[in-house]
Amino acid sequence: MKQQVYINKTSEIYDAIVIGSGISGGWAAKEFCERGHKTLMIERGRVVEHRKDYFGENTPMWQQEHRGRVENILVDQQYNIQKQCYAFGNTTKHFFGNDRDLPYTTKKGTEFSWIRANQLGGKSLLWHRQTYRLGEYDFNANKLDGHGNDWPIRSKDIEKWYSHVEIHAGISGSKENLPNLPDSEFLPPFEMSAPEKDIQTKFAKLYPERPMIMGRTAHLTQPTELHVSQGRVKCQARNECHAGCSFGAYFSTQSSTLPAAAKTGNLHIAPNSVVHSLIYDEVSNRVKGVRVIDNDDLSEREYFAKVVFVCASTIGSTQILMNSVSKKFPNGIANSSGVLGHYLMDHNYNSVASGDVDGFEDEYYSGRRPSGIMIPNFYYKADPKRGFLRGYALGGGAYREMWNDQQHQDGLGVEYKNKLKKAGKWRFNLFAQGEMLPRFENQMRLHPTLKDKWGIPQIEFDVRFSENEKLMMDDATEQSMKMLKAVGLKNVIGQSKNGPPGLAIHELGTARMGRDPKTSVLNGFNQSHDIPNLFVTDGASFCSSAVQNPSLTFMALTARAVDFAVKELAAKRI
Amino acid sequence: MQNDQTSAIGPISVTATPKKSRRIFLKGLSTLFGGAAISSILTGNAIAVAMAYVPNSGDILTDGKIFKKAQLILLKQLCSIVIPNTETLGAAEIDTHGFIDNQLLHCHTQAEQEEMFKLLALINDTAKKSFSALFIELSDEQQFQLLTELDLGKKRFNQTQRQSFKTLKKLICIGYYTSEFGATQELRYESLPGGFKGSIPYEKSDPAWATKGLFY
Repeated sequence: MKQQVYINKTSEIYDAIVIGSGISGGWAAKEFCERGHKTLMIERGRVVEHRKDYFGENTPMWQQEHRGRVENILVDQQYNIQKQCYAFGNTTKHFFGNDRDLPYTTKKGTEFSWIRANQLGGKSLLWHRQTYRLGEYDFNANKLDGHGNDWPIRSKDIEKWYSHVEIHAGISGSKENLPNLPDSEFLPPFEMSAPEKDIQTKFAKLYPERPMIMGRTAHLTQPTELHVSQGRVKCQARNECHAGCSFGAYFSTQSSTLPAAAKTGNLHIAPNSVVHSLIYDEVSNRVKGVRVIDNDDLSEREYFAKVVFVCASTIGSTQILMNSVSKKFPNGIANSSGVLGHYLMDHNYNSVASGDVDGFEDEYYSGRRPSGIMIPNFYYKADPKRGFLRGYALGGGAYREMWNDQQHQDGLGVEYKNKLKKAGKWRFNLFAQGEMLPRFENQMRLHPTLKDKWGIPQIEFDVRFSENEKLMMDDATEQSMKMLKAVGLKNVIGQSKNGPPGLAIHELGTARMGRDPKTSVLNGFNQSHDIPNLFVTDGASFCSSAVQNPSLTFMALTARAVDFAVKELAAKRI
Repeated sequence: MQNDQTSAIGPISVTATPKKSRRIFLKGLSTLFGGAAISSILTGNAIAVAMAYVPNSGDILTDGKIFKKAQLILLKQLCSIVIPNTETLGAAEIDTHGFIDNQLLHCHTQAEQEEMFKLLALINDTAKKSFSALFIELSDEQQFQLLTELDLGKKRFNQTQRQSFKTLKKLICIGYYTSEFGATQELRYESLPGGFKGSIPYEKSDPAWATKGLFY
């Protein structure tokens, strides 16, 4: 990217400031820039250039330091939280936040794992790339059972924006016409293996209400002309995505939205700029800009714009709002409702099941598929007999055991060596991704005394899974085991775990949308009820977690909100 | 979608030795994106490569990083029993013991290191008690017999000791199968698979894939 894109000090008044450069921030910047608006993207971390800064990419295991494991001392001193993320390793560690510099606390008796990715591109470099639309059942869920507030939008409001972002981002998947999971604009799906196809057929007979489909994922299985024109090509199935992908084969800010935004000439980026708070003008009731602390030398500077989009991640965005206090908003800007920081959600991964698949000894696969199979939430219709509210999706897949799955077996010598050389038995597993109810008690707040090195109050989390989530996971384990046994798997095992929230890395809520300004922070266009030129378009705006992976909805909500803001700017209403 | 750029990626999707496939990876990228991006990818990776453990001859001339010379000699022997030299090289031949010495120092806790010290001492102590000799002085049959008992936690060994040996076996396996030899000669490795095929034929004699991706 051209050097002049990056700025440090400026007195320019931009049309739009976008705080954050992850999935939401990247989309906000692209949409504003393409509509001719001078845009400043503010990123708290360093610059990560596409390709150039993917340090760990395409390094075979034996060329990685410690074969991919991270040095003990480094983990102890800097990555004690981040190491809990499955994607943390030697080829990816530079994309994770440094726990030493990013302290937070949890209320006594609670736990929350907060995974951070503070650099240009944010978590778009590290995400798991599963992409699903929310459907009518999801938008109706809160209204139906009274937990949380009613989403102010429905499918018809967001459908065309899903299409808009999907065509640009590139989503692979199969058209299914399911009532509980709307289809996207698809590139071809990844293939299933032979045992997966067999299990799919058996499930279809035994559980017609629980179809098994290929996971939908933001990978270019067959790039369109548009993708190729962006410098993106077909997925090579390395499954080393989190190290960065020079092929641009998965959607990230770097591969997709940033080049599009930069191409317009309307984009500036202020890296190493930690947003301290928003600058509020009480007379006009507008946000004028942002106060920034330099990431490196801790100096202060300000940036100004006509409209501010906060896309700093669910926790990050709400932290900024909470730390922006004034006479009118003593408890955080745009918080006249008092719900800011509340209704924090994550997804629940506390159920796993697996079994052995007989046969298929002459079948194998080639390439490393960066996705798995998925069974959409089959509890999308409420049923009081179930004993818990909402539902879960099941992910999983089949694989043949290799050396690391077989190494714990008894045996030594030639026999052991020959066994580990060969592909072992087929295994098939399922794990649940459960919805978490929006509850007022689950919250984040600013710590009254502790601050980070930039002088910003630390976050204190107070979040727990409730009895509903626990019952749901027990059901998921029971159902998964039943289904696996029903299709003839052997040695079926399952387990409900008790892991705390956070590690799904699907933080949602805390600045929720809603129709009523007394009970919500944002309106149906992600616009603050209180301050017309302030928008929050990331996961903070969610009213419910639904079951689906949320990133695609961040994209669609953001693009839609920019469209609205651009029209409001033109009409001089903001 | 057929066009020059996507077809340029075509030749990459062949099985190749890793060095060759890395060359093709860079060549393919070079065609797509021009030379500047490639040199920077190379630079980036050069850092990782420089820091990776480089196997030496496997001969033990001095103390290791955490193990004494005598412990390393014993460890090397254990490597050669768990994954022996056959028509393909075994774990000892590619310095898996040296890898373990390095890996334990950098990536394991002191408690985990102590556990391995204790395990080595246990193996020698048991050899002395039963045969009045060091483990490495025993016959091949005696060594194999003793380790088999340890592997099963039977006779002279208990279940806790068995678990420690499983931990060591795991280290041997990581060292061996993630080495260049283990991944590419013993098993199958593709740097750039070129795409995913859900079904390919598998013969009983075919080696397994060496990795599932970044998190093997």
